[in-house]
Parts: sequence; C-alpha cells; structure tokens
Amino acid sequence: MYKYDEVDVNFINQRSNQFTKQVERYFDNELDDDQFRSIRLRNGLYQELHAYMLRVAIPYGTINSKQLVQLAHIADKYDRGYGHFTTRQNIQFNWIKLSQITEIIADLAKVDMHAIQTSGKVMRNITADPLSGIREDEVADARPYCELIRQWFTVHPEFSWLPGKFKIAINGSERDEIGLQFHDLGLQVVLNDDNELGFSVYVGGGLGAAPMLAPNIKSFVPEQDILSYIESVLRVYNLIGQRSNDKRLRIKFLVKKLGIERFSELVERDWLASKGDDDIKLNAVKLNKIKQEFSLPIEPIKSITNNTTVDFNYSIWKNNNVISNKIDGYSIVYISLSQLGSAPGNIYSDQLIQLSKLASSYSLGEVRTTKKQDVVLPYVRNQDLYVLWQQLELFDLSSPHNSTLAHIVACPGADYCSLAKTESISVAQRVQQRLNENGILFETGELGLHISGCENSCAHHHVADIGLLGLNKGEENFYQITLGGGTKHKTVLGKKIGRAVSSDNVIDAVEKIVGVYIKNRKPDENFNQVFNRIGIQLFKESVYA
Amino acid sequence: MLKVKDIEKKQKNKNRTLRYIEQWILEKGKASDLINGILIRPTDDVESLAVTLNQAPLIAFDFNNFDDGISYSQVKILRKRVGYKGEIRAINVHIDHLQFIFRSGVDSYELLPQYKKYNEDYGIDFSVCYQAAENNVGLLEKHRIY
Repeated sequence: MYKYDEVDVNFINQRSNQFTKQVERYFDNELDDDQFRSIRLRNGLYQELHAYMLRVAIPYGTINSKQLVQLAHIADKYDRGYGHFTTRQNIQFNWIKLSQITEIIADLAKVDMHAIQTSGKVMRNITADPLSGIREDEVADARPYCELIRQWFTVHPEFSWLPGKFKIAINGSERDEIGLQFHDLGLQVVLNDDNELGFSVYVGGGLGAAPMLAPNIKSFVPEQDILSYIESVLRVYNLIGQRSNDKRLRIKFLVKKLGIERFSELVERDWLASKGDDDIKLNAVKLNKIKQEFSLPIEPIKSITNNTTVDFNYSIWKNNNVISNKIDGYSIVYISLSQLGSAPGNIYSDQLIQLSKLASSYSLGEVRTTKKQDVVLPYVRNQDLYVLWQQLELFDLSSPHNSTLAHIVACPGADYCSLAKTESISVAQRVQQRLNENGILFETGELGLHISGCENSCAHHHVADIGLLGLNKGEENFYQITLGGGTKHKTVLGKKIGRAVSSDNVIDAVEKIVGVYIKNRKPDENFNQVFNRIGIQLFKESVYA
Repeated sequence: MLKVKDIEKKQKNKNRTLRYIEQWILEKGKASDLINGILIRPTDDVESLAVTLNQAPLIAFDFNNFDDGISYSQVKILRKRVGYKGEIRAINVHIDHLQFIFRSGVDSYELLPQYKKYNEDYGIDFSVCYQAAENNVGLLEKHRIY
C-alpha cells in the first residue's frame, strides 16, 4: 500500500491551510457564492438540501485501518455517526457544518487523507478494480499507475479548471469490474507484440442523460508515455471542450461532435509535439520505485483447516462473499454494506471501528472499497475465515448476499442530494421488503439493481442488470427502467424497457421483472445470461400487461 | 517558496495597450507612447497565429472568468510550441488563481482591483508540487524524487 512521504504530507497540509484561508474570506464576504462554490467543490464540499456534504478521497479504493478509525471519529464528531461509501470508491458525509469544515480537513490530513479534487471541474478520484494486484488474470497491477497519475494531476497548473469533471478508471485485468468504457478516460493495461507494457486508451464515455460508451482512440501507449498522452487528451478538451452549454460540458460531447477520428487526430498531433519532453517521460527507475510501493505484502502459506463445526449461515456467507486470493492460502472477503432497512453504502462509526480492527487482525490493515458500495478485505488467511465471520456477525457486517438483490446500489437520492429528482434509498428498501415478504429476495442468485435519483447517474444504473432512473413529470415521480446492462467482461449499457413507471408502480414492476427472470432461468444462469437468451420482450409484456 | 516579487521584476512593459489580434495587425507600426500588446481570446487558435504572435512584445490573457481555465493551455502552447520569447501577461487575475498563473509560464500579472489589499504573497500557499511546469521556482517537485 502506498505510504505518504514528506512531500505528500506537506502538500495536503498546505492545501488544508489554503482552504482554511479561503473559507475565512467567504465568511468575510470577500469571496462571492459562485467563486466559493468553485473552490469548495475542488475541496470536495457540496451544498446539499439540509447541510453541506463532504466527499473524502479514497484513491483507487484503498484505505487502511488507521484511516478507518479517523473516519469514525469524523462521523461521530462532525456528522450523525455514519458515512456513505460511494460508487466511485470514496466516502462522503452528509451532515457537515461549514463552520467545522477546516477542522475536518485538518483531521483528515492527520491520517494522510484529503478531499482534494473529489468534485468540481477537475480530474477526480481515479478508480480501479478493488482486486487489483490479487487477481489471477492480471496483465499488471493498476494501482501504481493510478497513484502516479493521481499525483501528476493533483493541482496541475494547466488542468485544474477544465470544462467539466473528468473521471479516469484504470484496469489491469482482463475482466472489467470497473466499467472502463463509461469513464471520461479508461486505461486498459495491455502488452504489445514485443511483450512491453502499455495502455489501450478509451475516451469519451459517460452515463448521465446521454450515456455513451467510450471508443478506443489508441490501441497502445507505452507505459513511460502515459502522462504525456493523458495531458494531450486533456489539452484538446481544455482548448475546445464545450464550456458554453451546461449540458454539454463532458468530454463525451466533444468526442461525439468531432467524431472519433478527428478527436484522435488532434490528440495524436499534440502528443507527438509533447511526448519527447524529458520531464513528463516515465523512466524505468521511477516506474519501478512506484511499483515497489504496491508489492504484495503476502507470500504463499499452507492452509490449515481448523473449523470442523458445521454452520449453515457461515457456509452461505463463505459461498457468496469469499473468493480465492491468487496467493495460496489466502482469501478475499467481500463485506456487504447493503443491509435490509438501511441506505446502501452507509456505514456507522462503530462498524468503521470494527472494520478497522478486523482489517488489522486479519488483512494486514488494508481494506478496499468497491463501486458496488461495499468493502473488501484483500489478504485474509484461509484459516481465519470462520473467526472473521463470527466477528462480522457481531456488528451486522456479515450479510451473506454479495451480488444478489439483497445488495442494492443506490445514490443518496432526494433524501440528501440537491440534484436528485426522486428518492432512491426508499425504493431500494421497498423492493427488498416486497421481495422478502414474497420469499424470493434470497432466491435470485447474482442480480444487480441500481437506483439513480437523477440523470447524473451516480448509482450507475445504465450498467446494472436492472437499472432505475428517477424522473419528475410535473408533480409526480417516475422511474425509467433499463435491463441487461453490465460491466463484467465489457461495458454494456442497459436497454430501456419502455415508458417510465410511476413511483407507486415501480415496486410491482421490479417484482414482475424478477418473476420473469426466475421463471425462465436455467440452472446456474444469472440475470444477464437469461436476458441475453430471451431478450427484452417477455419482460416488457410482464411490466406493461 | 516562490515570492511574488520574483515575478513582478519580469514585468517589462509597464504602460501598455492591448488589442485583439486583427486590430493589432492594423495598428502595428503606428507611432505610440504605449507598448502595443495582443489580447488573446478563448477562441483564438494560438498555434495557427504563431507568425503574428512572435512579432508582438507583449501577449496578454484575460483570467477574469473564475471558472474557465482555457488560457492555461493557450499559454502553454504559446510558450512551448510557438516558442514565444516576449512577455506573457495575465490580466484580471483572481488571487486564488495566482499559484496556477505563476506556474503556467506567465511572466507578469495584473490582479483585479478587489485583491489589492492582500499581502503580495497571499496566493502562494505551496512549497511542494507534484508535476513539472513552466515555472516551478521555489517549489520542490515530487516527481523528481522518484
């Protein structure tokens, strides 16, 4: 796991001091609302319906025990005792007072955490597969590249005032768990014919009102040239991105307007003129040094089976939530934060403390966050699994339903977010309640339901088996349903099933969709496989009958 | 840490008048007590105007729009790719942009009037940075440690 050095520590402390001065100027009416908005967003601070919301960065979803304890402290001291893991691997606090923000930022800095560039028109937190470094099929671990790129583009003098937000994902595995193609920039680690490492580059993806899959604009950029290539993409975007239309700010609209060929040509031209600059070229020494920071902290061990007790609940949990680590003798444990009756992704301070203790005891102090708003312990010895499960049980963290309908992904929705048009959390709860009453909640197998409260699509509903998008029509709330999306092996956008259904009918609609799936599935088939085999028609007929 | 006075010294053309490029071409060569400079608009393609720009002693960029960073890339291209050797000035500068202005390759700046009361080094918050830039004087660059 990357450890902060003196420069990193100085940097976040100096940024914290800078923001403190800016907040003071806002209180003294020396910064107007628009200027302060631009500044506070670059420091992760949103103004929401009831309070300010602070989004704290968890770079590429990696966090340690000490940091979890500090997040618990922040939840207790400055919020209402809980935080909310987001679909971009960060954590946010929804009940922040502006008068306390500088204290919070200073508290985060004490454990090498910050909220820099977690919002605003800048490069955001870079996301990666939560299993980076421990997957069998990896070409290379994505995290060293994430960290290098994160550093290079932090408070960058040229690219800190972009036309719109800019989200990057990096994938080192053949399996795409991160939705590479729905990002502004997606980097797939590849090997060329000479067995050299590099990146296949996708630009111009995004969800929202106009979902687009990023096209591939360059099949191979050598790893030592990746910073200059990203700079060229950003330079073209910064120079001719559409700033005048608030609905056309993202790079996907520029790529669409110019066409893939023209856009690629402009990037290539800029890159040829800049890639030779020694300052931006990554040499082998730099690359190896950063890669060493992420070397695996475990070595193969012989598994000892010390649990002879038969416990059905443990078996179900292990079956659904535990997979093998690529290092012999170790497992990877998923901890679902989607509990019946609570908001998906929410975690209470006592759970954060417990998670911290368990990570220290059983996973070398390391935890990963996922885009499904749950967490992963990456380095658990097989012989510790049963004891770990017993500990998780005590703090309501042992939900054995990873990737099932008991684990819904939802944005904060109109309960918290000023942008949201409809509620998301209550819909998730109503779906789970209905399917639980009917006895099918735990019978669905692998099935993802994602609920976004507006077109910003924070819950990534476009890439879910079942996606719900909240819409307003006059005074009434409706939900647009999409089916068959996914990000398993490649990013696939879900198909709209038909006209949006009203809030009153949306639970019935989901129940009917699940019913069609269960009725038609063959043994071992998941929703996606059933949908691809039978198509959309049966689902449509059922919902609109 | 970089001090504002270091950059102030580079302001060679104290009395200036600024014109958009078409107007500047028309007025070029006419006698004047003022130094004529070109004011670049966000829509100007700096690279394609290289021949004309290289004839001007002063080129200015307007940073009044708090949320718009297009000028930073234009400055970069003017300095690195066009190879412009004259003075690049930022006008209508917000104090919160100073750190970016300094590092982008700008030679001189004019703060908006509302910031005159601030201590000259108010906008200089950092002694470290993560990336190479046109002007990192006084800053420790993290990437050089690798």
